[in-house]
Amino acid sequence: MNNEIRKILIANRGEIAVRIIRACRDLGITSVAVFSDCDKTAYHVRMADEAYHIGPSPSTESYLVHDKIIGVAGKSGADAIHPGYGFLAENAAFAQRCTDEGITFIGPTAETIALLGDKLQARAAAREAGLPVVPGDTIEGDNLDQALKKARKVGFPVLVKAAAGGGGKGMRVVESPDDFEEGLKRASSEAASAFGDGRVFIERYLKRPRHIEIQILCDRHGNCIQLGERECSIQRRHQKVIEESPSPVVTPELRRRMGEAAVKIAGKTNYVGAGTVEFMVDQDLSFYFLEVNTRLQVEHPVTEMVTGIDLVREQIGVARGERLRYRQEDIALNGHAIECRIYAEDPENGFMPSTGMLKNYRIPAGPGVRVDSGVVIFNEIPIFYDPMIAKLVVWGKDRTEAINRTRRALDEYRVSGPKTTIGFHRAVMDNAKFLAGDLSTSFLTEEYPDNRYTDMTDDLREGAAIAAALDKFTRERKITTGGHDVAHQPISGWLMCYRRDNLRYFGGSR
Amino acid sequence: MPRYLVNVDGREFDISLEYRADSYEVVLNGRRSDVVSHRLGQTRSLLLIDGRAHEVDVRSDGFDGVRTVFMKGMEIPAEIEDYNLAQLRKTAGISSTPSMEKTLKAPMPGLVLEVKVALGDTVAKNQALLVVEAMKMENVIKAPGAGIIKAVHVSGGTSIEKGDRLLEFE
Repeated sequence: MNNEIRKILIANRGEIAVRIIRACRDLGITSVAVFSDCDKTAYHVRMADEAYHIGPSPSTESYLVHDKIIGVAGKSGADAIHPGYGFLAENAAFAQRCTDEGITFIGPTAETIALLGDKLQARAAAREAGLPVVPGDTIEGDNLDQALKKARKVGFPVLVKAAAGGGGKGMRVVESPDDFEEGLKRASSEAASAFGDGRVFIERYLKRPRHIEIQILCDRHGNCIQLGERECSIQRRHQKVIEESPSPVVTPELRRRMGEAAVKIAGKTNYVGAGTVEFMVDQDLSFYFLEVNTRLQVEHPVTEMVTGIDLVREQIGVARGERLRYRQEDIALNGHAIECRIYAEDPENGFMPSTGMLKNYRIPAGPGVRVDSGVVIFNEIPIFYDPMIAKLVVWGKDRTEAINRTRRALDEYRVSGPKTTIGFHRAVMDNAKFLAGDLSTSFLTEEYPDNRYTDMTDDLREGAAIAAALDKFTRERKITTGGHDVAHQPISGWLMCYRRDNLRYFGGSR
Repeated sequence: MPRYLVNVDGREFDISLEYRADSYEVVLNGRRSDVVSHRLGQTRSLLLIDGRAHEVDVRSDGFDGVRTVFMKGMEIPAEIEDYNLAQLRKTAGISSTPSMEKTLKAPMPGLVLEVKVALGDTVAKNQALLVVEAMKMENVIKAPGAGIIKAVHVSGGTSIEKGDRLLEFE
């Protein structure tokens, strides 16, 4: 049942589109990009072998339109579609449409996506597979009084979650019965606008839990392995911002138990491809099934760094019908990896999205540093999509070396224009609790209650004051400052003649 | 010798400069240092302040008295004016900062989903004022301080650009 894949359409944008294009190139597969109006000159378009315009900037008129994506696949002759994450990645109808059109969808089957995409069904499947789940209840069709009664039984604080949810959208913590109606309304309206499905359910809200997930990889021949965990406890608005592998608290024994649980639910749901089984881990290290993400995760590179396995390459292999190239006993975690999501956001202003042109953008490099970037200098950060611009992924032989290298890498960034989360990440890398591995999903609200992440020092104040004074001085006097005006010095014609002559004389054919 | 008064993060710096052959002699609040500046581009420079290297990007966005300095991963606003003019202004009793920000401006472009306050409402610091949808997220905009709502410029369904006036306080 091997099916040839020679050309892949990437139904996405930003860093993940670039990431997939790189995997295609490694495999000698032709890559096809799609782009909206505001992405005309985006990095993924420049990187791809072919690129096609698919409409206006709002994703509902471009990246989310099934007909447009399928149309480009037909026109370009793509035999497979990789959805990345977000957009159409967990859309069962789209996966089915690909299959109907004879295009390979790189991901699980439409049935599996539909089952696991519905959190209520996923919880039921997990329970059947023998996985522990967080106490909770459905409230579909209930009136407010009935729902409130159930919420009281589950126990406040409760978490109201979208049945079709993901990425923290359509999710609200409700502290007390008084706030229940408002929380319900807000979660439901957010769910309706984000997923077109306003159904919500309730779950007990665990105090200070960790968010730990297991990467799985399954082929079409019934083989399924787990690639260890990722600790993703550091979150803002229920969205991950820093991830690492391995987790500072997971022992080999716990890893084996969580991994086995993950493989069990994969088997139960006929899972195919790369996926992630998310767990909440209580302070006593008991774990509860949360959900399965039927896609490649944003944070997949930390697993790649510690396992040495290219997950996108393996996804494509599985989609071709190949057998897994690894057995469970081949998987070993080597060293430690940390990912910092670089967002165009203002951390000190509640992580508000920040937009505008990247007037300067220099990224770090050096030993152990990998940057998966979706932008290049002078790109405009559009308002229409997720504001993540890049992922900094750093490897070290142990957690301490990984943290030291992350600090070094963050300090190497030079970004002007939109506000970013770089300074925020730098602060966390010095945080005593982070260094001790004492993490929970309330880490940020507990450690930084007033959203102050970066401390102004006298050194910085003085440096900024001097920089401002020199700027005013040179602008007013119109003088070039000491040294050479590197960027604007015109190259003298005489100098060029001299250089040419020298080239001819010394380097050329005598 | 040019002399400036620079305000960074609430601190005042009295800075005089003297340009020598290849560096500046800078006197900052009475302390002398040697500063070398190499331009790296239109707005970027490499500063060596007593030998310590700082890569800075200084942007002025049209206002002569205001600079934004990007430095060590931070975005630092600096207000700058000629020292003598500043002294005159102070003698005349004119405050340097424009009277406390009484207008709430949109921190991002988006769509107003809900306005939670009305004209004449008394609001407390951090009270939720508006819900704005941007980048597919519902963002709650909270009161920067206590006050009374004097004007409401938007309502549910209004599309806003960054910097648009949303509310005014008293």
